[in-house]
Order: sequence, then structure tokens, then C-alpha cells
Amino acid sequence: MINDVSISYLIFLMPLLTFVVNGLFLGKRSAKGAAAFAIICNGVAFASALFLAVSYFTSGFAPQKAILFELPFLKFAESFVANIGLLVDPLSIMMLVVVTFIAFMVNIYSVGYMRGDRAEGRFFALLSLFSFSMLGLVAATNLFQMFIFWELVGVSSYLLIGFWYHKPSAVSASKQAFILTRFADSFFLLGIVIVSFVVQSFDFSTLNALTLTAFQSQVIDLGFITVNKASALVLGGVFIFTGGWGKSAMFPMHIWLPNAMEGPTPVSSIIHSATMVVAGVYLVARLFPFFALSGDTMNLIMIVGAFTMVFAAVIACTQKDIKRILAYSTLSQLGYMMFSLGACRMGDVVITTGWTASTYHIFTHAFFKCSLFLIAGSLIHQVHTNDLDAMGGLRKKMPVTYVCALISILAISGIPPFSGFFSKDEIILTAFQGHHYVVFGLALLTSGLTTFYMFRLFFLAFHGAPRSESVKAGHVHEDFFMTLPIAILAVPALASGFAAKGLFEHFFVPGKLNVPQLMLLPEAHWIPIVAVAIAVVALLIAWVLYASPKAKVERALDDINRSGIYKVIYHKFYFDEIYYAVVRQFVIGGIARAARFIQDYIVEGILAFVVWFVHKLGDLVRTAQSGNLTFYLGTLVVGVLLWRFFGQLPF
Amino acid sequence: MSFSVPQFIIPDLILLALPFLVIGCRLVIRNSKLPWRLACIGLIAVFVLLNLLPLVGGSGNYFISNWRVDDFGILMREVLTLSALLGLLLAKDYFDHGADGKPQMNQIAEFAGTVAFATFGGYIVVSACDLLTFFLGLEMATIPMYILTAWNKKDQMGSEAATKYILMGSVATAFELFGFSYLYGFAGSIHFDAIQNAAAAGTSPLLWIAVLFLFCGIGFKLTLFPFYTWAPDVYEGAPSPVTALLAVTSKATAIAFLVVLVFGPLAPVQEQIAPLIAILAGVTLFVGNLGALKQSRLRRFMAYSSIAQAGYIMVALLGPAEMSKTAIIYYLFLYTVANYLAFFVFGVIGHRREESFDALRGLSKQNVSLAVALAVAMFSLAGIPPLAGFFGKFHLFFSGASTGHYALVVFAVLNNVLALYYYLQVIKSAWADEPEGELTTLRMTKRQKLCIFLLTVGVIFMGILPHLSDNIFAGFSL
Repeated sequence: MINDVSISYLIFLMPLLTFVVNGLFLGKRSAKGAAAFAIICNGVAFASALFLAVSYFTSGFAPQKAILFELPFLKFAESFVANIGLLVDPLSIMMLVVVTFIAFMVNIYSVGYMRGDRAEGRFFALLSLFSFSMLGLVAATNLFQMFIFWELVGVSSYLLIGFWYHKPSAVSASKQAFILTRFADSFFLLGIVIVSFVVQSFDFSTLNALTLTAFQSQVIDLGFITVNKASALVLGGVFIFTGGWGKSAMFPMHIWLPNAMEGPTPVSSIIHSATMVVAGVYLVARLFPFFALSGDTMNLIMIVGAFTMVFAAVIACTQKDIKRILAYSTLSQLGYMMFSLGACRMGDVVITTGWTASTYHIFTHAFFKCSLFLIAGSLIHQVHTNDLDAMGGLRKKMPVTYVCALISILAISGIPPFSGFFSKDEIILTAFQGHHYVVFGLALLTSGLTTFYMFRLFFLAFHGAPRSESVKAGHVHEDFFMTLPIAILAVPALASGFAAKGLFEHFFVPGKLNVPQLMLLPEAHWIPIVAVAIAVVALLIAWVLYASPKAKVERALDDINRSGIYKVIYHKFYFDEIYYAVVRQFVIGGIARAARFIQDYIVEGILAFVVWFVHKLGDLVRTAQSGNLTFYLGTLVVGVLLWRFFGQLPF
Repeated sequence: MSFSVPQFIIPDLILLALPFLVIGCRLVIRNSKLPWRLACIGLIAVFVLLNLLPLVGGSGNYFISNWRVDDFGILMREVLTLSALLGLLLAKDYFDHGADGKPQMNQIAEFAGTVAFATFGGYIVVSACDLLTFFLGLEMATIPMYILTAWNKKDQMGSEAATKYILMGSVATAFELFGFSYLYGFAGSIHFDAIQNAAAAGTSPLLWIAVLFLFCGIGFKLTLFPFYTWAPDVYEGAPSPVTALLAVTSKATAIAFLVVLVFGPLAPVQEQIAPLIAILAGVTLFVGNLGALKQSRLRRFMAYSSIAQAGYIMVALLGPAEMSKTAIIYYLFLYTVANYLAFFVFGVIGHRREESFDALRGLSKQNVSLAVALAVAMFSLAGIPPLAGFFGKFHLFFSGASTGHYALVVFAVLNNVLALYYYLQVIKSAWADEPEGELTTLRMTKRQKLCIFLLTVGVIFMGILPHLSDNIFAGFSL
């Protein structure tokens, strides 16, 4: 089907080569050389990925799966081998293109952003390692390969988030990200052990072709409980999903993601758009037929996704750190993708529109989210702060950035004809078709919230009077290397949704499903209209609050004197002030306070308690180590007695 | 009557002769580097010869009916020899100059000889066919360790550690002998085959008392909870190369002892003693991990880390024989490599400084390659793919899971997160922490450079190309 397989090697070899060459040789000698080498190699990788995609989709072979190459990696038994290979199907090809493209753009951008950093060469090496790991994950033909690269993604994100290791906050953020995702990964590993032991295979093709009935009659002993193999598989599936749960930073394992903002902005950009967090969604999409075997697993996926979606959007409305707003918006968008996958199940049948919609949203989201982070990076680079308090009035100074930001924000808000509209519309439609009406309502609400907080950011950053000395003094300008990728990314942010619409519906089917499935035609034409109407209302609210001539930006940003409905009513503009009262005091103030309460006290509180408890236990072990020989000899005797009674020896 | 020496016994004979040669040549030639070189060459020769031995499968070859060389034995011999060789290479610097604030050590020839004796003790353990030989091997592996711990006569800490070690060890030996005597009483024979038949025919409380005491006795050498208490003090007090030997050779011997026992005489009752193994494994790895959390001295930290590693290795003992042995051998190989890599790095740092976490500060700026090597070792010990440690742990857990001990595997996997935390502490010290005051210069000999390089490459390559060790996976049978 695809004539030239050799070119597909380049997709993986090029980032790896960049890593090795820049890491070992070039990085220390010449930062410029390292950057140029990284850009060229990533460009070649992108070109090969694009070539592969074009030849695949035009060959008539699509949407079938194929394994382009495969090497045996680790042999467990004659028929039970873990391979390393390249799986080709519409999903993986789409991801290959997206990852290489984003990596290419971020590399160009980093020339401007990292200029003058003392470890520029190392940065380019690590960035390529990151995209290489993600590419390996995407190309995985089996669970084992996926896990290896999954962890490699974790390691490289650890190295990149903590890139500025002289900042203590960066070090602790990188550690938190690594350990928290590792915690989730340990469940993933366990899921792999259980599933592969039951099925005797790691391959996705085998796993996705399973039916539970064959396993129902066999029994397996899980140590603490004896169940039939079908239930063991479902349990294994939930464990595997937990890996994606942590990697995609779904509630309550989301806390690492906003903290991961300590890394350089290009890293945030690539983490949020194409690598790392998308891995969790990709995992669920990849194993979709396997997860779809169990309705409860699907419901779990949907609930986790939907809750994160709303929760993160509410928090985003109250943040003032520009990167944190974007981080929470990523969480919210990932929530969309996740619940869309979970919402596919309707009773005993499965509708595949959710799968299509979710992968579609991965595709469009990558472009506009990457672009938004790069824009945020540009702003931070010029204004030297993450704080919206100190921005404002940047429209005139950074015109190209301004236009691109507008495009991306319209895209994420779901306003037609920008890309986000198409994919988000399909996701909302899935919730409706699956008869998950609560989630459907939440998705519409979140769509409004998204528009609100994104335009809040937009107006506060670009409109109004400048609030920062450097803007006032006119030091702000646009950097060529940083603006170029932003401008390029604006094109897919604008057009990718429209252009790819037919493509996704035609090619993107999740493979053969072993559960009854329904193909539903799009219905309910009123949904997009309502969604757009909500978005427009939210936009108007944001405008009134933050950008209209009468808006009180200082007041909107004021943290201290926010109480006092009483004062507000006596104020000149009753109408505005009632808006403030309702929106700020009730909606944002109330719900957001609740959301932040959960965040600060429950999630982080539990985490802090666990850490404290473990450290206390550690202290206990150390205190027992007194150096006193009598005590040590006593432990020998105690040990014998201990294992006599707890060793469960049958006497 | 002609008497021919079979091929498979040659490495054993060389190793047995080696200490006599090494110590003997020092008697003849004074003050030369010859004994140490001879010891290294001898160990390399043994290692190469072992690798040339074909794996035969089945129950292995017998020599004079009482000395069995099977596949597990050959691979264990390779682990032990590798560990002894690396231990000698590591130790050389401690004889050339003082380190870790202690004076330099003397009498390298005797040191090398003692290490070889301990290694031969391990050989005996994996070759034994009866309880007497078995016990002899274990003692021969342990007594040299007492001596090695006190090798630095000018260091009081070392003497104190050795005293603790030998007192605790004697009690543990008594436990073992007690267990052996009951085992003999139960079966009426000291031969493994006879004991196995007796256990298959039926059990009695005698057998269970024997099992209890044997596990408690070996629990001392394998640092299982609560018999590990000597380990942090002894690891801390012993000279660094001896600590490395204790962590690898001593531990490998002890685990080989358990493997021989569980899959040999006790094979018929493996299922009944599985709960004991599981609880020992779980508690040990948890306590080891907890202990390692807040250490400030590197060797103490490595002690707790190795306690936890012992717990992980125990998990594999629950599996079916073949899978379990494969997992343990593979894990021991990469545990050896990663552990020695860490100790070599500590050795370089400890030349002019104390071996503590603070001494690692600023390492990434002073010597990046050393910091990278350290990070590789720590990531491998923490079990992060694609480094070797991950595949090793995967095998261990898979072996435990294959007989349905999921609860333990869950616990072990979660504990790995805890382990990641403290291994990252080491990396953080080396990479992120700013040094306090002026750093003393680091000096590396060519030998150290070469060893660190080879071991780093070893860890990486065993990880990204695990099928290189296919002879472990494929050629392995009972």
C-alpha cells in the first residue's frame, strides 16, 4: 500500500538524531548550530510524516491498519513477545503529523525564546527527546511499547519542566509532575500485567478484537479475590485507564499540570498541545474497542472527563496568571475529549461519533493551544511577567500576535468557521445522541465559560490602557523567530476544522467493535446554534466586564475590595455593577470558591497528608535504627515469633 | 583408573586456586601490584570460561555425585564473579589513598583473596546437593564478609560494624542450623532429593519449624524485615568497596540460597510457604523504602535501597520455577551493574569529601558525565524504562503475578513510586542543588573512567536491547 516504507524511519530517527548530536556534541559548542540542526531535523521529520500521511490517505488502503515495521524486543515465551514497531492507521498518522508539526514550530519558536539562555543546546536536545518519546508512543503496536515510551515521555517532561533547575519552584514542580504521573503509571503497569497475563499478548490488534464471553467461564485468582477472567479484564482496563487519567491530568490528579508551568513556555506549549497530556486521551482512543467492552468503564471515563471539564473551566475564570489560565483551559478541553470517548456507550450499544469527535478535537486543539501558549510566551517575553495585571494595551505594539491570538481564541471558543467549532460541536452532539443530558448541559455551559475566560484574557492582555512600564516605555516589539510560528499556526487554527471535517468522518472509525454499534446520523440541528449563542453571550459579558468603554478594568482586577454589593448599588452605572455583583460575587465568587476549596483543601490536603504520613513512617524506621546491639538482637527473636504467627505457615 | 576433569568444573577449580595464588605470590614478591592484577585476571578468566559453558538444561551435570552444576548455577556464578571483579576494581583506589575521611587500607592481596573465598562460598551454595554442603557454602560466603567489614584497622567505625555484624550473624547461623536439624529430623536424610520426596509424601510440624527458622536465618543475610537492623550500621561502617560487595555478593548468595531451597527440597510445599514469602517481601520493601526517604549519608541510603531491592526480588520467588529463576537472574545482573555504577561514582566523589548527599551538590556543573552516570544508575534502580531496571522489575512482578499474587504486586508497584521519590533526591542533589563553598577538585583514574563508562553503557544497553541477554531468557530451563 505504501511504497516507500524507508521514509517512515525518518520520522523517528530525526528527533533521536537531534537528541544524540545536540546532547553529546553540538549543544555545548554552539547554541546556534544546535538550534539550526534541531530545526532542520524536525522539519525533515515533519515532511516525512506528511508524506506518509498523503500516501496513506490517497492509496485507497485507508482506513485499514498496517504494521510498517516491527522488531522483537523482549521475549517472554515463544508466542508471547513484546515488539517495537510502527502501527499505521488514521489515528496514528494524524498524531504523527500533529506531533512533528508542533515540534517543528516549537523548535523555531525556541530560537527566539531561549536566546541567551546558558543551556540552549541542552534545551534543544531535550525537546527532541520529548517529541521522539511521544512519536514512539503514538506508533506503538502494543501495550508494552506504549508503556516504555509513556515513561520516556514522563522522564523527558521531568527534565524539561525542571529545565531551569536553579529555580526551586521548577525543581519541585518537575518532581511533582513526575511522581504523580508515575503513581498513575503504576496502575497502568499493573493493568498491563493483568491484561497481558489473561490474554497472553500485548498487541493492540489482539486486545481490540477481544470479546468477553470467551473469558466468562474461566476463573483467575487475583490474590485477594477470585473472579472470572472477564471481570479481571475489565479491572485491568480500569487500571490501564488510570494511567491515562494521571497523564492527561484529569481531576483529582490534575494538580501537577498548572504547576508544570514552571518550565520554559515552549515546553508548556508542546506538553499541552501535542505530547504528554494528549497521551492519556490517545491511550483511550487507541484501546477504544477494548474499553468499550464494559459499560461501567465507559461511564467512568465520561464522568472523569466531564467533571474535569467543568471544574477546570470554573477555576480558569478566576486566574490572573496567563499561563495558568491556559493550563486550566487545556484541562477543560482534555475533559471534552475524554468524556466524548466515554459518552459513546448508550445502554448496550456503542455509537462511534464520540470517538471521531474526540480524535477530531485532539487534532484541532493541538494547533490553537500550541499557538495560544506561544503567544503567551511572546507576551511574557516582552512584558516580563505572567500577570494579567501588568499587561493591557498590547494590541498596537504586537499587531501580528494580536490577530493570531484572536483567531486562536475564536477557535477555542467554538465560533464558526474557526477550527474548534467543528470538533466541539461534534462532541456536544455525541453527549446528546448518547442521551447523557446532564453532561450535555455541562458541555454547553463549559463552552460558555471557555469563551468567557479566554476573552477575559484577550481583552485584559491586548485592550485597554497599558499597565506595565515596559509597554508604556515602548520597549515592546515582536521577535521574528517567535512570531513566525505563531503566524503559521494561525492558519490551521483557522482552517483545520473546516478542511478536515470530511476526512475525519470518512476515515476515522475506531476499528471493528465487538459490541453492537449504531451509526447515528447527525441530528438536532439546533445544537450548534445554541452553542454559538451561548458563546456569543459569554463573549459579550467578557466584553462588558473587561473591554467596553465603561469597563472598570482596575476594579475587575481588584482582589481586595471585591465585597460590598451595597457600595456597588449606589454606584453610577447600576447595570454594570449588577453584572459585577452577579458575575463576580455569585457565579465566580461562589462556584469558583467552591472549586478552589476542593482544589486547595481536599485534593492538595489529602496529598499533603499522605506525604506527611509517609514521612512520619520513615522517621519511625529511622528511630528504630538506634545503633543499640541489644535491640538488634532482640529483633531477631521478635522476628521469629512474628513470622510464626503472621507467616500463615500451616502449623 | 584414569581420572578426567570435566569441563564444567574448571572455573570452580580456578576460583578455588585463585586466593592461594594471590596471597602466595605476595609472600614471594613484596610490594608489587602483581597480586591485585593476578586476582583481576583470574576473575576475568573465570567469567569468560563460565560464559563459554553451554547451558544444558535438565538437572545439570554432577561431579562426584555431590556437586551439581546446572543452568541456574552457571548464571549465578557469572553474577557472583562479576560482582567480585567489580568489587576489586572499586577497591583498588581505597588502597591507594584514603577516602571518605578515613585512612587508606592495606594488604590488598589478602583483601582480594578474601573476596575470592567469599565468592567461592556462593559457588558452593548454588552447587550443593545436601544440607551439609549447603551450610558450608553459606558460612564460607559469610565469614569472609565479617573480616572484610573490619578491613580498615585504623577505622573504629569499621570495627564496631564488624562486631555487630558477627554477633548478629552468629545468631542467624544458629537459626539456620536449628532449621537444618529439624529438616533432617523430618526427612531422615540430608540429601535434597530425599527431603523433596519426604515433603511430597506429607508434611509435619517439624517441616514447618524448619522452614520458619531457615527463612528467619537467611532473612538476616537478605536483610528482610525485621532482621535487617544490622544492615544500615554495617553498610555505613564498612569501607565503601566492602559495602558494595555486601550489597551485591552477599545478597546474591542469600537469594540463591532461597532459590535453591524453594525450588529444590521445598518445591512440593511452595504453595504453602507462599504467604510467608509474600508477607516478608511486602513488609521488607515497604520498610526499606521508608527508611531510605530521609537519609543524608550515601552508604546508609544505599543500605535501605538494597533492603527494598531484596523485597522486590522476593516477589519473584512466588512464581513458577523457570519464570522465577529467569527473573531473579536477570534482575541480579542489572542490580549488580547499576549498584556498582553508583558506588563507583560515590568512590570518585568520596576521594576528598565525605560520602554524603551534600558532597553531590554541584556535581552537574563540575563533571557532567559523572552526574549523567549517577542519574542513569538511579533511574535504573528506580525502574524507569527504557533502562534495564524497568525490565528487571517487570519480570519480577510478572513472575509474582503469574501465580495470582496480585495484591502483593499492587503493593510493590505502588511502592515503586515511593522509591522514585528518594532516587530523585540523589539526582536532585547532583543536578539542582547549589554547592556550599568551594568544591574540591574531582580526580579520576583511568580505571575509574573506564569502569564508569562501561557500566553506564551496560545499564543503557541492557535496557534498550534486552534481547542481547536472550541466553538468559531463551536458553534457560530447569
